[in-house]
Amino acid sequence: MDRQNIHSSVHSSFRSRDSTSSTRSDPREKIKDCLRKFIAFMFTQVGVGALVVCYAILGAAGFMHIEKDSPDEQLENVKQWRQSCVEQLWNITNRYNVLNQTQWMYNSNHVLKIFQNNISNAIHQGYTGRTPEDIWSFPAALMYSLSVFTMIGYGNVVPKTTWGKVSTIAYACFGIPIYILYFCNMGKVLAQSFKWLYITAHECSRREDAMIEDGEIQPIKRKVTVPSTACLWVISFYILSGTIMFGAWEKWNYLDSTYFCVISLCKIGFGDFVPGANIADSAEGSHLKLVINFIYVLLGMGLVAMCYNLMCEDVQVKVRELREELKNCLDDITLKITVCMNDTKYYHQRQTRNVK
Amino acid sequence: MARRRRRLASRVRGYVRGFLAFLFSNVGVVVLVIAYTIGGAFMFQAIEGASEMERVSNMTRERDNTAQYLWQNVTLTLNLFNETALKERISIELLNYQRKIVFAVRRGWDGGISSRQWSFSSAFLYSMTVITTIGYGHLSPRTSWGKIVTIFYALLGMPLFLLYLSNVGDLLANWFKCIYALVCMCRGCPGFTRRRVVHFRSQLELSDVESIERPAGWRQEYSGSEITPEPIPYVPQHRPDPRRDYFRSISLPQPSRNPRPDPIRGWSEPLPRPGSVSSDFAYVTFDVQTITVPISACVAFMVGYLIFGSMLFGMWEKWDKLDGAYFCFISLSSIGFGDFVPGERVYTPRIETSFIVCSLYLMLGMALVAMCFNLMQEQVLHYYACLKRVIKRIYRCKR
Repeated sequence: MDRQNIHSSVHSSFRSRDSTSSTRSDPREKIKDCLRKFIAFMFTQVGVGALVVCYAILGAAGFMHIEKDSPDEQLENVKQWRQSCVEQLWNITNRYNVLNQTQWMYNSNHVLKIFQNNISNAIHQGYTGRTPEDIWSFPAALMYSLSVFTMIGYGNVVPKTTWGKVSTIAYACFGIPIYILYFCNMGKVLAQSFKWLYITAHECSRREDAMIEDGEIQPIKRKVTVPSTACLWVISFYILSGTIMFGAWEKWNYLDSTYFCVISLCKIGFGDFVPGANIADSAEGSHLKLVINFIYVLLGMGLVAMCYNLMCEDVQVKVRELREELKNCLDDITLKITVCMNDTKYYHQRQTRNVK
Repeated sequence: MARRRRRLASRVRGYVRGFLAFLFSNVGVVVLVIAYTIGGAFMFQAIEGASEMERVSNMTRERDNTAQYLWQNVTLTLNLFNETALKERISIELLNYQRKIVFAVRRGWDGGISSRQWSFSSAFLYSMTVITTIGYGHLSPRTSWGKIVTIFYALLGMPLFLLYLSNVGDLLANWFKCIYALVCMCRGCPGFTRRRVVHFRSQLELSDVESIERPAGWRQEYSGSEITPEPIPYVPQHRPDPRRDYFRSISLPQPSRNPRPDPIRGWSEPLPRPGSVSSDFAYVTFDVQTITVPISACVAFMVGYLIFGSMLFGMWEKWDKLDGAYFCFISLSSIGFGDFVPGERVYTPRIETSFIVCSLYLMLGMALVAMCFNLMQEQVLHYYACLKRVIKRIYRCKR
């Protein structure tokens, strides 16, 4: 598929160069060229997006199939512990007199403590209180595969079986390059379009100023770079919208949902807040939320890539300017120093001459 | 004499300057990253440590409450000798209690086994996972101040870590290339002069025979027939391509554009390149820029590092081999599920060192991944350039 993309784009570019050089006036050729460009665009940009989504869906189906019928001995263990705890409590009640409250309390507290330790150990080893069928629903598996190949790694859903682990490693090995391709592509496209938007807006305002000042329109020759503050505004707006959305859905407060958005978009992904993990929620609602979260994270990654591209450009320009300024400064200083040195030398010479 | 001394002095000054630049650029960045992490560890410990104590005492109160409830509502109200009813009631109560425990553990309560979750070393690992964007999530901030500080800490720390990665990745890539060149290409150093002769001759041959029109595969034949026979009696079959790469890339620089051999590129000078690493490698920098390490070597190196990590953690944490490899992969690819975290299952007094060892392993491993990416990118670009040239040549032929 990729090869085809590259091929088609190369082909179209060759053809377009030819057509512009030789037959500029032929409208038919022009239309054909436009069509070809459009197809190339569809294959490269939209194609990569579709590839990512397809890969995620494929992975979700695969992981669901692998993990759904994994035996979970932790559930059995917990049930057994509870049984034994009840038994012990009954024994205590039988052995001591009922009316001896302190003794009873002391012993039952001890039993409860053992029970509690067992359960907390089980939780550390992956007990969540839910059966694998509950956990590995399709949207959850989709979220899992997204969190694997975007390197977020929420960790609220993890593979338990050996095959699950092995296939996760293989899936990540192939998924991460695809995702990086998506990241670069999406970043480039979004950066270009955003830059275009910014430049048109900029020029509109600029032209009016120029009209007022000079009375004639001067075409702006110098390259306009989007300042990084604009990128930061876009990102913060995106995070804000995510904050409001998740806050309304998940009943998190605003701090928590901001925290969730930032942690997700930075690819840290602690997994302490995950949408759709609310136990009290109904199944369909949580599924919808997971799908929307999927889209939110993918789009957000594209935006982050865009901002990264634009900010790199901006920073490069700034660094170049700074370097030139520094060089100027340094030249100035060296000039001054040499002048001073010469002066003092001159002064010393005069003094020695005077002494003589 | 004076002139020689001055030259020596300037050379020493150059060495010192190079050393200082190295210190500031590479060591400085590493020290900065470590200092940032340690500072973050202290900060998070201060912020989160207080609320943790409160949670532990909360849980103790919860247990007392349950016992009280069992006494008052179950044992006193029900008849004592009705065993089944009593057991049923107690079981229901215990289920409720279990839910509470699950909830509490999810919210970060640690079973009361290790008394302090936010010890210095675990906070260190936490801030490490934040700036490397691994994010295990075995520890996460509970207080609102902790969350806010985490956000800003990540926003500041991630560019810093990226800087570290690119810097150290470049450095390691250069070293790796040097080592690769030394070990795999000339195998010990008597090959230097010979290689220079070969190089010179190849340039001469190029200048004589090179014309614009060439068949696409001329380089392989050329390097095979003209150069290889005299220096190396056995060009091994399992390593044919690095050598070919070497020759190809040596004879690369625009053969058609400057047909004369460069005066700088003569064999009497070891060619001090301006942008090369440092003058220690003067002989190696001679071709360190043109060497590309094959992708398979990078992949093998990474797999070796993974296996080393899995052995290390397998010994340390008593995981089996697959789990160790899984942990290393998930960590190094910065996914970080957090289902396996060192020091999480086996509660030993060594837990502190285990955290520190883990974070060091991660730092080094991330840099190695960056190095491999660098090398692989170079190699891919090299292939791409070759392909482009071949295509161009074919295209020109057809015209």
